[in-house]
Amino acid sequence: MVEVDPNKLEPGRTSVDHGITARIKRSDPWRSAFRHAQLDTPRGRALQSFSNVFLHVYPVKIPKRVLNLRYSLRLGFIAAVLFGILLVTGIYLMFVYTPSVGSAYGDMQNLKTGVGFGQLIRNVHRWSAHLMVLVVALHLVRVFYAGAYKKPREFNWVIGVMLLLITLGFSFTGYLLPWDQLAYWAVTVGTNLVHYVPLVGGRLQDLLIGGPQVGQNTLLRFYALHVAVLPSILALMLTVHIWRVRKDGFAVERTSVGSFSEEATERPAAAPAAEPMALAAPELYGGRVRLLGVVDRESVTEAARPVDDTVFTWPHLLVRHVVVALGTAAVVLGLAVSFSAPLRGLANPNVTPEPAKAPWYFAGLQELLSRFDPLVAGILIPAGAVLVLVLLPYIDRNPDTRASHRKVAIVLFSILLALAVVLTVIGTFFRGPGWKFIAPWTHSYIEF
Amino acid sequence: MDDTSRRDFLRGGWKLSGALLIGAAAYTGYEALRPLASSAGGAKITVGTTSSFATGTSTYVSAGRMYIVNANDYLFALSQKCPHLGCHVPYCESSGRFECPCHGSVYDLAGEYIAGPAPRGMDRYEVTLEGDNVVVNTGVLKAGPPRGTNNFLTPPKGPSCIGKA
Repeated sequence: MVEVDPNKLEPGRTSVDHGITARIKRSDPWRSAFRHAQLDTPRGRALQSFSNVFLHVYPVKIPKRVLNLRYSLRLGFIAAVLFGILLVTGIYLMFVYTPSVGSAYGDMQNLKTGVGFGQLIRNVHRWSAHLMVLVVALHLVRVFYAGAYKKPREFNWVIGVMLLLITLGFSFTGYLLPWDQLAYWAVTVGTNLVHYVPLVGGRLQDLLIGGPQVGQNTLLRFYALHVAVLPSILALMLTVHIWRVRKDGFAVERTSVGSFSEEATERPAAAPAAEPMALAAPELYGGRVRLLGVVDRESVTEAARPVDDTVFTWPHLLVRHVVVALGTAAVVLGLAVSFSAPLRGLANPNVTPEPAKAPWYFAGLQELLSRFDPLVAGILIPAGAVLVLVLLPYIDRNPDTRASHRKVAIVLFSILLALAVVLTVIGTFFRGPGWKFIAPWTHSYIEF
Repeated sequence: MDDTSRRDFLRGGWKLSGALLIGAAAYTGYEALRPLASSAGGAKITVGTTSSFATGTSTYVSAGRMYIVNANDYLFALSQKCPHLGCHVPYCESSGRFECPCHGSVYDLAGEYIAGPAPRGMDRYEVTLEGDNVVVNTGVLKAGPPRGTNNFLTPPKGPSCIGKA
């Protein structure tokens, strides 16, 4: 019979398991890595979070309503999962891709014919990228309608807007890399926009494409941006973004006060009735002393029992997140198997294909460009939109998060959102060669 | 000098060093990204003799990425790059106009703006005659004529090329 340290047993257990796995799990080397057993007790569940660095992105306990799918639709989490998928598939792609005008296109073809699952990996990468743009945008919309950008979350909203821009930057730089006609002309059109920036436009465009036209220099710097610069910035900002979400308490309560902060998670909520009492007799305030005061019974009970509506993150939220992550992966895989990433002919600077369409998330911008002066449509409108988005929490000072109390903000945002969606849909589906109006059911020029 | 001023001095020193570091990083970034003076472009190209460009025709010269057009016996060297957003503007034989497939800008044979979102006509290289030879200086690119210039505007010869693809 082996001597077993009773501290290494689950509480309430009397018998010792002598199976080989159980013995390994009690051994010192195992315990040096996993410091405690997995216990199905409140203490054990809290320990799971305390002793695991990765679980530190979550609070140990969360309000029960966070478990409700309706609260966040899990969009932020899905975006993070998609980023993870992009990171993994991106690393695979890096092994077979050379950012050179001479070989990039060939590498794409080789991926299809010479690398096991190569095309699938590229499809997954492309579809995750499309979905990430979509999901990040939806996340922003959801956060707006929930009023979750209000105090104390203003700055996290700003970081969120920047993350959206970085996501678009990823998509745009990645778009060029296959070096086919689709890539070449979408990026030519996109980078020529920069030319219209007042004063520094020409110089800025030179820095971006590194020459008189899109070429080897452009490919190399887009590659560097895509695989090194942007991932670093995104990882850094995403860390701050998630950390702030955790600190601010995960979910907005639909009230006039609106903030549910870490203070409230880590201390029992300060009872409303206690505050006036504390003001009246500060020396008595604290602990349970206030219960001995002469107050009417109702308020005592109310004050004494703040309802604990929190549950342990591990396993309640974690298991939901795992399910959502698996669902996301399944959707991406389904799309990747069904629809291949396009690869048109080798990039040819002398032939512009008809129509030369930007990727769908820039189609709205392209639609604007076909109607207005490039300075207005390409620079002023988008820059203005970004500026308004960034400053939104500082413009909208109304602390109320209930929809019925913020009609103006919701109506204005909805109109702008509808405009953006309509422009994008027209640009994506209703435009053919020469940017002429077409019916999408007669001939579609959509390229994903 | 009391403690506070020394502390302030050091604090300022850190800020200054930080600013210098950022400045150095930005300058290095600029140096790494700025395009190097390229050997391409800027050369004088002899594209042919005057007789090789008949009135009312457009000839593509791939060496200079440009068209040599003869509009009413005036020769122009038009950059293929659309002044709107840089697409290659093809010449449409059937309509006798330049029609950009990207956003639908249309120019007449001399590259003058007719329709679409472009801010001006097609950009032009300097053309000189050396004897009977037509020489284009690709080092000098002049911005195209402003909107509303229509010295060479003629009705379209025939149907537009856009939409037939």
